[in-house]
Amino acid sequence: MTDPFATLGVPARFTFAPGDLEQRHRDLSRALHPDRHVHSPPGERRMALERAVSVNDAFRALRDPLSRAQALLALHGLSVQEGDRAPAALLMEVMELREDLDAARAKPARIAALRETVAARVAAEESVVARAFDREGAPDARDLAQARDAVVKLRYFRRFQEEADAMEE
Amino acid sequence: MALLQIFDPKARAVPIGIDLGTTNSLVAYVVDGGVECVTDCNLSPLLPSVVYYGAHGATLVGDDARTLAALHPRETIVSVKRFMGRGADDPETRRLGPYDFVAPREGESNTVRFRVHSREVTPVEVSAEILRELKGRAEDQLRTVGGAVITVPAYFDDAQRQATKDAARLAGIEVLRLLNEPTAAALAYGLDKGRTQGTFAVYDLGGGTFDITVLSLDDGVFQVRSTGGDSQLGGDDMDRAVATVLLREMGVDDFAHASPELVRRALDAARAAKHRLTEASETTVTVARDAGEDFSRALTRAEFDAIVGPVVERTGPACKRALRDAGVKPEALDGVILVGGSTRVPLVRSFVRELFKHEPLTDIDPDQVVAFGAALQADMLAGEGPREDALILDVIPLSLGIETMGGVAEKILTRNTTIPAGRAQLFTTYADNQTGFVIHVVQGEREMAVDNRSLATFTLKGIPPMAAGLARLEVTFRVDADGMLDVTAKELTTGVEQRVEVKPSYGLEADDVERMLMESFEHAESDLAARQLRERVIEAEQVIAATQKAVGIDGDLLDEDERAELDGALAALRDAVAKGDRNAIHHRTEGLDRAATPLAERRMNRAVKRAMSGHALKEFEDELDARPTHPHLVGDGHTH
Repeated sequence: MTDPFATLGVPARFTFAPGDLEQRHRDLSRALHPDRHVHSPPGERRMALERAVSVNDAFRALRDPLSRAQALLALHGLSVQEGDRAPAALLMEVMELREDLDAARAKPARIAALRETVAARVAAEESVVARAFDREGAPDARDLAQARDAVVKLRYFRRFQEEADAMEE
Repeated sequence: MALLQIFDPKARAVPIGIDLGTTNSLVAYVVDGGVECVTDCNLSPLLPSVVYYGAHGATLVGDDARTLAALHPRETIVSVKRFMGRGADDPETRRLGPYDFVAPREGESNTVRFRVHSREVTPVEVSAEILRELKGRAEDQLRTVGGAVITVPAYFDDAQRQATKDAARLAGIEVLRLLNEPTAAALAYGLDKGRTQGTFAVYDLGGGTFDITVLSLDDGVFQVRSTGGDSQLGGDDMDRAVATVLLREMGVDDFAHASPELVRRALDAARAAKHRLTEASETTVTVARDAGEDFSRALTRAEFDAIVGPVVERTGPACKRALRDAGVKPEALDGVILVGGSTRVPLVRSFVRELFKHEPLTDIDPDQVVAFGAALQADMLAGEGPREDALILDVIPLSLGIETMGGVAEKILTRNTTIPAGRAQLFTTYADNQTGFVIHVVQGEREMAVDNRSLATFTLKGIPPMAAGLARLEVTFRVDADGMLDVTAKELTTGVEQRVEVKPSYGLEADDVERMLMESFEHAESDLAARQLRERVIEAEQVIAATQKAVGIDGDLLDEDERAELDGALAALRDAVAKGDRNAIHHRTEGLDRAATPLAERRMNRAVKRAMSGHALKEFEDELDARPTHPHLVGDGHTH
């Protein structure tokens, strides 16, 4: 797996100004998209296509905060996977949220309130990730451990959000 | 001094945009910076997508064919687009309609076949007739026609896209690009109406297909954020709903045994009533019976709305999902663009207004807007015109994956992934000594493979016996800018690789298309060898021109030896072209490709570097300056 930050030519950080990643993706797409190489020699067409694919892949990996956080962990050899043990407190919290969601079925206002609660929790965990990766210098072991725990939580919250989406559909 | 126009045999071939619609098809082109549709002798831009097959093989396309539909309902194919890329047992073949379908047969490609007189025709061939007619019209007006951008519903799957490409090939049309219809419409609005910024929803309800696309426009880049729809939902379903009511009231209960003429008359009457009710609040519908007095009844718009309401409401869930996938609330949209003839129905407009909380945009004719967009894209791809900076970044509409153990569909590329896209995923064996992998490629969002659309099946063979779980199978999916999928598989422990001959589950096989091409009159006449030589020469001339241009711009990137080698390869190819030696042209084109590799790589790096310095990031300007090179990008174009 290539480093998506390098592919987009952006620093390996968590926080980006709004629109920055999109801008970089657009600029690179302008240079690499097959539409821009219709009249290029065949070798350049192939290379541009390969790179356009990796740029799109990198953008997809970095556009979403959770997958960006995972990309940062991956740069440090860490990963979070399905079936990783989660702390008991988190499991309790998520279980309660799910029960509340079940009870909120067909009550849009209550679902919205739950979404807000979860959004606040997501913001809190994202700030943990940001602390680890946004400052000067490489993150230390403690930063990384905290960021990894935060990502475990973020994954659970993401699943909750998806369930809420499904319920509203 | 008077200037005389001299006929120039090398006159510019005008690139065209084709909207191959369910009900009507159009062809448009760019002239003097504006877009225009090719019109017929009545100045109408619309060619009804109707093909009549005569008893002796002759065909009629368009208005004349439509006129004959009521008399020859089985020999007149209407709305063929709904059958494109569909299997012979598709539900569409069982819906209300007058056709005589050929039952699926063992050992034949699984495609819909219409029986007309004593022959059978596939949807690809019917579509090719429409495309041929469009091309002919364009040639009448423009003399020399170049390649074409052909639009397809965004929600078309791989088989439907392939069928469209096959039809173009049969019609002798070079496809520059398949373009999604809603994206084409957005392009027309963005480029022609000068909108440069914002997030738009495109609601496209045609005769037979429905698309919803959310896209954002940022300094000339059209980035599709999400898309959804139903490739078998449209105005035809409104007609069927109304026709069903009419037939019931006429005392016809068994539609399967109603005469095809009666079914066609009821559908036509329904369609005409729908058109009238766009303006009128009440109309009279008349259907001639097979015998006896005509059936006639009044139909108010309120009644019509009640009958077609369920059809319109079927578009709702896809719209909501597209908004959610794009992460956009209706209030945050800058506008909703209406596309497709069916959006003329007042009920559709009020439905859209309510759902998106915006007054829909209709300032470009919803029947022509897609063809306009296609023409603009064709013009851009031809590399001319002032719209150089516009770029379309489209997505795949449906997730692509393969069937794994227990029949579960494992997604490899998820829906709304920007194209071109690629991803590799590792799989392993689940039985001891398994020497082959069956790879079943599916498209769709459902969890189980069987609930998704089956695109192709192939087998990777020749893997030495190993214990279960030891083999490492890497499956790579690539989707190009046309939205077309290509799959390769490789066993990593042994290196057995297969560039897959994907056997399509639906539609025609490559051989079928080849055979049809040979059978078709115009190609049987021409000499195959001469045609192949001509194609090679054209290709070689393009490669020479492109390479010379590249050297002219970035020749400084080569050292003396590299430059000499490249010049040598260029000269050798030119020589082969001059001699008309087909084999030599082929080999030397490849030789030139090899000699140009260093230049290609460095030009790519230069382009990427330039792109990255074009807009410095807001927050990290300094940091970026401190890291002028990005090692992973420079010299590493590989994704996986």
